[in-house]
Amino acid sequence: MSVIPLDAADEVATEPVPPARRRRGLPGLLRRPGGIFGAAWLTFVIVASLTAPLWRPFEPGQQDTANRLALPSAEHWLGTDPLGRDLLSRIFTAGSLPLLSSALMLVVAFGIGLPLALIAAERGRRVERVISRVTEVFLALPATILLLALIGVIGNRLYPVMAVLGVLISAAVYRVLLGVAQSVRQRLYVDAARVNGLGSLRVNLVHVLPSMATVVAVQAAQLFGIGLLIVAGLAFLGFGPGEPEPSWGFMIQDASGYIYTSPWLMVPTGLVLALTVVAANELADALAGRAAGARGTRRRRRPLRRAVAAAAVPDGTPADPAAVLEVRDLTVSVDDGPDLVTGVSFSLRQGQVLGLVGESGCGKTMTARSLLGLLPDGVSVTGGSIRWQGRELAGLPETELNRIRGREIAMISQEPMVALDPMFSIATQLVGPIRRFREVGRSQAKRIAAELLRNVGIVDAERVLKSYPHQLSGGMAQRVCIALALTGEPQLLVADEPTTALDVTVQAEILSLLRALVRDTGLSVVIVSHDLGVVADICDDVAVMYAGQAVESGTAEAVLDAPAHPYTMALLGANPHVPEGEPVPERLASIAGTVPPPGSWPTGCRFATRCRFAQEKCTVPFPALPAHGAGSVLCIRVDELSREHATWTPERAGDEIQPGAEVLAPADETAPTAGVSS
Amino acid sequence: MLAYVAKRLALAVGTVLAAVVIVFLLVHASDTTPGAVRAGAGATAERVAAENEALGWNRPLWVQFTDYLGQLVQGDLGTSLVDGRDIAADLADRLPVTASIALFATLLSGLVGVFLGVTAAVRGGRLGRLITTGSGVALSLPAFWVGILFVYLLSLQLGWFPATGYTEFSSDPLGWLSSIAIPVITLAVGGAAIIARTAAAGMREALTQEHIRTLRAMGTPRWRIRYVHALRYASVPVVSTLGIQFIALFGGSVIIENLFALPGLGQASQVAASSSDFPALVGVVVVATVVVVVTNLLLDLVVAALDPKVRTS
Repeated sequence: MSVIPLDAADEVATEPVPPARRRRGLPGLLRRPGGIFGAAWLTFVIVASLTAPLWRPFEPGQQDTANRLALPSAEHWLGTDPLGRDLLSRIFTAGSLPLLSSALMLVVAFGIGLPLALIAAERGRRVERVISRVTEVFLALPATILLLALIGVIGNRLYPVMAVLGVLISAAVYRVLLGVAQSVRQRLYVDAARVNGLGSLRVNLVHVLPSMATVVAVQAAQLFGIGLLIVAGLAFLGFGPGEPEPSWGFMIQDASGYIYTSPWLMVPTGLVLALTVVAANELADALAGRAAGARGTRRRRRPLRRAVAAAAVPDGTPADPAAVLEVRDLTVSVDDGPDLVTGVSFSLRQGQVLGLVGESGCGKTMTARSLLGLLPDGVSVTGGSIRWQGRELAGLPETELNRIRGREIAMISQEPMVALDPMFSIATQLVGPIRRFREVGRSQAKRIAAELLRNVGIVDAERVLKSYPHQLSGGMAQRVCIALALTGEPQLLVADEPTTALDVTVQAEILSLLRALVRDTGLSVVIVSHDLGVVADICDDVAVMYAGQAVESGTAEAVLDAPAHPYTMALLGANPHVPEGEPVPERLASIAGTVPPPGSWPTGCRFATRCRFAQEKCTVPFPALPAHGAGSVLCIRVDELSREHATWTPERAGDEIQPGAEVLAPADETAPTAGVSS
Repeated sequence: MLAYVAKRLALAVGTVLAAVVIVFLLVHASDTTPGAVRAGAGATAERVAAENEALGWNRPLWVQFTDYLGQLVQGDLGTSLVDGRDIAADLADRLPVTASIALFATLLSGLVGVFLGVTAAVRGGRLGRLITTGSGVALSLPAFWVGILFVYLLSLQLGWFPATGYTEFSSDPLGWLSSIAIPVITLAVGGAAIIARTAAAGMREALTQEHIRTLRAMGTPRWRIRYVHALRYASVPVVSTLGIQFIALFGGSVIIENLFALPGLGQASQVAASSSDFPALVGVVVVATVVVVVTNLLLDLVVAALDPKVRTS
């Protein structure tokens, strides 16, 4: 009847919301203009229609022959129909039938669909299969024509017809709710409740149903709108309450006959019907939180005045004349929000490997991605300089950066399995950039692609070229990603946790591949890792990052052998990798608390809240001190600690770990990390 | 793959069978009998009984059912109770009308919807919000009301197209196109709105994928990232929705054909429903179910062709 498919409800298969997080649902709904409008108009129409006999100015059948087809007037607010009947009275008298019969359809649809979904989710695959097959058949039936067939058999009885429609629609309801019920059931707390001996009914009532409430509400609102359109459509075809009873569909049908002489006639009824359906859909949208879907995706860049100004200071006088990459005082911030990285400096020579290490949320990835200008939307470089072969990259326009990406600086990412385009074969994905970078024909590009794959240790290159990403293993995918990064023969490779998502044996293979590339091609690498083993394995230099700062830097050897910053000591103490020839420690050290999120960093030393050696003087800001030759360390007590031969040893069993200074506030463990993780 | 195709085919046959069973039972549960319909109003009870006897209505249900199935397999849908016309031939004449309107409307929805949805996702901002809100309203509008508005605008005010009626393609191709223009545009309003939403959501999701970042890191031109890679990623849900759309428009044809006086399947089902012409009702349901099932099968094939994960598994 309507142009809306019954499956439209599928679109809103939103994630289930655990009960605890639903509390803000209602105010959130009312913050959206669409939600306010939807709720208000629906309430108005429902109340006005159900109470119409009490307030309507005229009887719906009362004819005012002097005032036929009248425009709105003080007497007839919405005008009159061809028999001079009052439109306002007729519209709202007609309202209760579509509203109530759509409600009946909803009750039937959910009355069948919801229990079926719960049963299918609970009873496991076999039951689910049977129910799902049956509903698939139902979904494929032409609902509209079946309804007409039903009317042909039982006559114009709207309530039974809508109840049957409810049965047909229950298949769509089931399909959406099954997905939600299954994912709720997989939650740990549902398992826990079952283990605790709650009966099946109670588990469903207490845990599963509340989590499904949002999805049910969204679906109900949407289906309600569809129901209204179908009732009106049936009445339009003449399958509604007959004259003189008013109905929305028939009033529009009636109006279509007078469109030459009185076009106004179709406006009030059509508008009320349209607004009611719009209201139901807007309410559904607001419930699903989809109104926010239209967020601007356009990138807003803050002007980089600070960056350019800062870059002007060390201009022409790089600290290390041999450095190809020179990062000075890099600051990365959320637009109109907190800083994510502050004052980070490091440099890199050709053919060297620099490691950025630290816990998650320390700004390593942001630092690495800023080298290519690939920060997430709403995050940008707001200070400092990134000099690449004498060129300033910070603040470079997108088009300029695009010329550098791939050709001079390339990147491989954390998760090789999702880093490749799932829709295209490996050959297509390699040939495109090869042709662009090396200006060769298709067949030669294909040869180069195979050669690149062999260079990264893929033996059956021909087969891999024909494969799609989902057919590759993680290690294989990462090799392909490395080959992809090499298509433009870059001089710098930024590797963001390149081994984290891989198996341990594969990790070692990828690292040795990177090492071989550095050795054979003179590639420079910036590698991000939380794993000190990786650093020890492959890096020449290292910068240890904590809470957006580089707290210690220097050659990998010096930093790992003689850590000067307590955080580096702690990381080493917590590292399960044991160098050869040393005894395996009985216990590993731990670091109390978590990294403070951006925006809540303490003044002074940002590690002080978790540091065993923290004292009151650690709470005031201080500059970085030179260390490890060309490196630096950001700790005011570095000399004292070095005199005392301080080490971050494992705690004895049973010891409570106390962060050092009592003057410091404990780290806020509950605050979210501003949605940006390292 | 073969097992998959076999399963889909089995489901398709099962669906058609289910539809036949449902309408067959429905007709037999009715309190009117085909004899009464054929004899017309005011016929004597003897006359009705004689008609029922002649139609084989009094035979056991399963005999009638297997009989009907046997005829169905041979493409025989019986004759109308009202005017005795051959139903299969009648529906064969009507099918192209409905199918062409639904097909054109689907294509138009696809073109307009993808354009709007991609624009909303890529441009974002105020324009994106406008498109999202506009499509939310458009998909809620009753097609018959929109149709009347278009008749008022495009036919009465601008005089571009005829308001109602159908011209045979064979007699006047241009006139045919012009006669289905307003119905197609009317159906495409809601269709385009749904496609726009799907395309916008798909593009937004696509643009946040990790592999898009890889492409950016490779210095891939922006138009290529958007219109080759992201659009390809979003194409699977869009094509699925287009298939559902075609089915929905096919069903929606009842109203449109009534409004514009088009001799299609929808009109046939309305007439059959209001006159209780049982064989015609069953016939329409069977044909409509076959169309839905065939569309779904084609859709599966297209999705498999688009999505390497489906294709290679």
